[in-house]
Amino acid sequence: MADLIFIALAFLAISGAIAMIVYANPMYSALGVLISMLAVAGMFALLNATFLFLVQIIVYAGAIMTLILFILMFLNIREEDLPKEPKKFRLIALGAVIMLPLNILILKAVSKLPQKDLSITNSDFGDIKPIGMQLYNNWLLAFELISILLLVALIGAVVLAKKRTSKINNKGEQA
Amino acid sequence: MISLTSYAFVSMMLFSIGAIGVISRRNVFVIYMSIEMMLNGINLFLVTFARYHFNMDPQIVTVMVIAIAAAEAAIFLSVIILLYRSRKSLDTDIFNTLKQGDN
Repeated sequence: MADLIFIALAFLAISGAIAMIVYANPMYSALGVLISMLAVAGMFALLNATFLFLVQIIVYAGAIMTLILFILMFLNIREEDLPKEPKKFRLIALGAVIMLPLNILILKAVSKLPQKDLSITNSDFGDIKPIGMQLYNNWLLAFELISILLLVALIGAVVLAKKRTSKINNKGEQA
Repeated sequence: MISLTSYAFVSMMLFSIGAIGVISRRNVFVIYMSIEMMLNGINLFLVTFARYHFNMDPQIVTVMVIAIAAAEAAIFLSVIILLYRSRKSLDTDIFNTLKQGDN
């Protein structure tokens, strides 16, 4: 049963990713990424990471991708504004050739590791309580630094998106 | 039984497709989504090894990565809005003001 679910999720994740790089319209790309992220969330659930399953759906699919879709619709991009990409498929083939040795190396290394049972257990591994205990005991400094980073990002986004009188006009010359 | 290699295959596929997207596309939005896809592949790898070693630390690292991705999304999207307002384009090859010479 879990095998079938895994195969379906793997198919959805990879096909969503392929849809992202193939479609010219960023809206279709964003929907492909959304499918892929939901499939990865399902894999987190299969790997017993229940808290991360929720976080992936709420933060990635719910917040980040919704923000991207909102900005895409807000900018109101027309078909002729999209960049022309005549060499896209040639560059995709080149990138595949570049990434192939890395993939083979990692998959060979991982397949040499001793096999263990990765099925869902009944223990509280990956539950919200043990994760919280770890986060607030062993990873407290990293947690505080992340909160400062989020604050800086919040202030930075407000400062950047604020309306201001520009000294440079559209052609990049001094006005 | 699902083996470790099949999870590694899916996460490496996601990472590679993200890297290929960064190399091959010229649309700023698609490049951003490719970076997110690479982060997602690495997250899947981390969670797989958390389950393999029955250790909680990689899952904490994954929480950190997701928080950093959220901060990155805020900054990146406001920069994209600024660039689109000033140049009316999403093409990365147009943003070459810092490049000397051929323009």
